[in-house]
Amino acid sequence: MIRSSRIKLVHLLLALFAFALVGKAAHVQLFQGRAWAENARRQQTARRDIPAPRGDIRDGVGRILVQSKETVRLEIAPREVRDRQKLRRLLQRAGVSREHLARATNPSVAWVTLPGRWLPTDVAELLTMRGVHPTVIVDRHYEVTPSERRFVGRVDANGTAIDGIERELDSLLKGTPGSAILLRDAKGRRFASPATRGTAPVAGNSVVLTINHALQEITERALSDAVAKLGADGGDIVVLDPHSGAVLAMASRRADPRSTAATALSEPFEPGSTLKPFVAAALLERGRVNPTETVDTYGGQMTLHGRTITDVHKGDRMTLREVIQYSSNVGIVQFASRLSPREQYEALRDFGFGVATGVPYPAEVPGRLPTPARWSKQSPASLAMGYELAVTPLQLAAGYAAFANGGELLAPALVKEIVAPDGKVLYRHQRRVVRRVLSKRAADEMRAMLVDVVAGGTALQADLSAFAVAGKTGTARRNIRGRYVAGQYYATFVGLFPAENPQYVILVKLDSPRGGSYYGGTTAAPVTKAVLEAAIAARDAALDRALLASARTEKPDTTSLTGTGDRATAIVLAGKPERTAPASSAVGSYVPAAGTTSLARPAAPPREDPRRPPPTSAFVFELPSAPERDTTQATGRTVPDVRGLELRDAVRALHEAGFRIQLARGSGGTSPAAGTVARPGSLVRLHVDR
Amino acid sequence: MTRRGWIWLALAGFLVVAVGVIWRRSLGIAESRKLQELVRHRDALRNEQLKLEGEIRAASSRAQLAPHVERRLGMRVPSASQVILLKRPPRQNDSQ
Repeated sequence: MIRSSRIKLVHLLLALFAFALVGKAAHVQLFQGRAWAENARRQQTARRDIPAPRGDIRDGVGRILVQSKETVRLEIAPREVRDRQKLRRLLQRAGVSREHLARATNPSVAWVTLPGRWLPTDVAELLTMRGVHPTVIVDRHYEVTPSERRFVGRVDANGTAIDGIERELDSLLKGTPGSAILLRDAKGRRFASPATRGTAPVAGNSVVLTINHALQEITERALSDAVAKLGADGGDIVVLDPHSGAVLAMASRRADPRSTAATALSEPFEPGSTLKPFVAAALLERGRVNPTETVDTYGGQMTLHGRTITDVHKGDRMTLREVIQYSSNVGIVQFASRLSPREQYEALRDFGFGVATGVPYPAEVPGRLPTPARWSKQSPASLAMGYELAVTPLQLAAGYAAFANGGELLAPALVKEIVAPDGKVLYRHQRRVVRRVLSKRAADEMRAMLVDVVAGGTALQADLSAFAVAGKTGTARRNIRGRYVAGQYYATFVGLFPAENPQYVILVKLDSPRGGSYYGGTTAAPVTKAVLEAAIAARDAALDRALLASARTEKPDTTSLTGTGDRATAIVLAGKPERTAPASSAVGSYVPAAGTTSLARPAAPPREDPRRPPPTSAFVFELPSAPERDTTQATGRTVPDVRGLELRDAVRALHEAGFRIQLARGSGGTSPAAGTVARPGSLVRLHVDR
Repeated sequence: MTRRGWIWLALAGFLVVAVGVIWRRSLGIAESRKLQELVRHRDALRNEQLKLEGEIRAASSRAQLAPHVERRLGMRVPSASQVILLKRPPRQNDSQ
């Protein structure tokens, strides 16, 4: 009996235990199930952030200026390393210093971070070794000239944009980061599984600048040579397309190594005589003067409100044309007195002075143009001579563009296109007229006066002889920290090239040239000439050669074609290109000096008479003719729609349409997009999912 | 078949299925690792390509070549009067 009751008790206990187990299981499954499942998921998976590739920055013809690349930073745990000899050999090959090499192979050291970054392919073998811990870092690589670096800006080590276009357009360039879900095994090892899905990163948009890299290099070289030759503190060159407002080149140089900004946008200066044409234009526009009207210039000296105004080129009477041609201070002050202070102020303000141009650069300054309420008695005369106001080189170039394009002030542009990763064009620069500042008649009259400045005035050294150039020189005393410093000048020249239907507005400014002369006509004007000559001879410097051929004013020097001359001649075919120019273009703009042998194919007949001097100096370069500045000309072609086609067929269709093709990563489509009218021979990026 | 035989058969079936599942998962993980490795390799090669393209661009740039062309080959930029612009007659398909 007792035994039976004990068995029952055991059974009861077992039943209770089983019931408790089932109850707990039910509690875990039914009430705590979600929490435990979440806990398990957290333990078994890991989330990894995938940084979004930052968008490229390209020049106006598609050349990459800035791009992001993956690099690795290496950290070594010497105690985990098994094959130290191999590690030593591979680190030596990777260029690691002896000091770090010794630490990385010393087992008594726990952890070593190697300085520097490597491409994964350069250290591929190292990455497979036990004890080597790589960290992938996305680096920004800048293939830019020093001046381009000034306005392109940069990102810091954390990928934060801190300057220039990188900062201004950061929201467009940076993209959206993604994430990956990795599985973790019992030992904590991570591996990707097709069953776990993350979010793909969205790459940043590409920014296409209006800058022409070839022209940029030409301007930088010319500026560098001039600064070195003249012992100047620095200088700026701006080249602008006067018909679209596109900034084609912007070079800056300063002796002070701390200067890293785009000074053509951030450092205003008193423009001196380069401002006189704006006063003259305002007078012409209001009908207060005609170009042949004269004023008394008092032998080049006059006193006004106790201040003596003098001229370098002295005369008793001058027409307005001569006042501009010889840059007469006395003459322009006399003419400017026909404008009321309000009219003079409004005229200068209308040309864009005192207002930032709005190019995407965070540190652009508006310059300074005081209102008439703040003027002194001397202000109207000072302003007429280009003092008491401050303008940036870009503002001044944009003002001159109005003389070149028939009187419209255009908004300068630094960004040509913004292209999404899939090739869709999000933004394309359109010519934007800020306001009409002059009638076409007044602009043409002004341009004709500027031709005289180069042909027989103060800018003789900018004369190209083969092409008419218009322009104006300026020499202004330099104001440093509120004081005019003796012997310090800004030497400036602003040119329009060619004078008839200009394709460039080019501004050259030198800060304190010291090479014996400080006048704009003898320092800045020759730099302009050097830039223009190099641009004419370059393969692609955003010049329309067909238009240029018709603007020629004298017969070219063809003596060398006969084989009797000792001068070199570059022959440029101006018209539609029959084939694509090779990628490298630098040598194409050079010709041999007298008596040297040629690199290009000679156009002269083979030498038969051994006594005859070798005719080595005639060369033919086939150059693209149309400018890069405007891709929507009437002669353009429509980019075909190649979506859905096989790669081979898409390439063929684009080629047959007359475009050059570059393959790019993306998901179908082209850039420019299908339906866009583009210049034959221009580059079309075909986006393929590789 | 006896009752015990059925039990053995069930156990063997369970074993086969379990081994199959483990084998399939192991294979999947190995393939996934291989795929990851290939992706890494592709990215590395793409970086290498970008680097080499950059080096080509730098080497063929005007800033790099011009000093050599002037100093070593004695070449120079022609003056504007030495450049001849020949007008090419338009081809038929240019007017399209």
